[in-house]
Amino acid sequence: MQQKEFLSIVLPFKDRLYRLAKRILISSEEAEDAVQEVYLKLWKGRLKISNYKSAEAFAITMTKNYCLDRLKSKQASNLKIVHSNYQNSDNLEKQIEANDGVAIVFKLMESLPEQQKIVLQLRDVEEFEFAEIAKMLDSNETAIRVALSRARKTIREKLIQQHKYGIG
Amino acid sequence: MESVNIEKLLEAYFEGNTTLNEEVILRTYFTEKEVEPQFQMYAPLFAGLKAAKQEVATKEPVLPESLGINRSWWYGIAASAAIVVLVAGFMFSRPSITAQEQEALTAFNESKKAMLILSENFNKGTGHLAIVNEFNNTKNRILK
Repeated sequence: MQQKEFLSIVLPFKDRLYRLAKRILISSEEAEDAVQEVYLKLWKGRLKISNYKSAEAFAITMTKNYCLDRLKSKQASNLKIVHSNYQNSDNLEKQIEANDGVAIVFKLMESLPEQQKIVLQLRDVEEFEFAEIAKMLDSNETAIRVALSRARKTIREKLIQQHKYGIG
Repeated sequence: MESVNIEKLLEAYFEGNTTLNEEVILRTYFTEKEVEPQFQMYAPLFAGLKAAKQEVATKEPVLPESLGINRSWWYGIAASAAIVVLVAGFMFSRPSITAQEQEALTAFNESKKAMLILSENFNKGTGHLAIVNEFNNTKNRILK
């Protein structure tokens, strides 16, 4: 497989991988690194890609596993994730921070357990069907629904609290 | 009428029971329309999800030019180049060693010549010593 052909298959979902990586790793720099790493792995195993029905689902699973591994090794070595993206004067990031409510939701998403975070990302941001998500995460639809419902409810509760106190 | 519908959808949404289409309806309502006061607290959630979708990677993935078959080719080329360099180095360094050896050889030959001359002269000397032996002979005859 030539590089051109390979890129035409894998580049369309680059941003999706990035967003998922960022959801898990928080830092945008680390998310970029993760995407790079996943693409390298995909490139090395590119002969296998044609065997997979959906290269995208395969790539998402890889990204998820890679990011969770990164997270584990970080916790093991007692390193704190550096939220360097706050110094980034990215237009979008400024825009998000400018919008208070949105910033709060981002924070709430950060505080969710990993699995719920990932499910919420894949469903509410990337809009995948439950069956697809179940395959990507090697789980079943019921478990995905439960995790998703918990994630949404947690955010709802916090939002209601904020609303009551008039902060949000 | 719409608010009843939204209420129902929200309920289903938090239970994880909405379809993708229904979720689109919710998102559109909360991000594009006038949100009624009783749902106001949920607006940040949908705005947040929308913002999350707009994030994009800034770096392009970098892939190595060639891998697999091409890589083993490169290994072959590198190995043969290394062998050529080694052999060439060996060949070129050889003359310098022999020059040294040559020098040693000539030095050896010269000293051998010098030794030969020396020993020749010694032999000349021993020839003269035969006369001294004559003295011994005569002495033996007298003292018998």
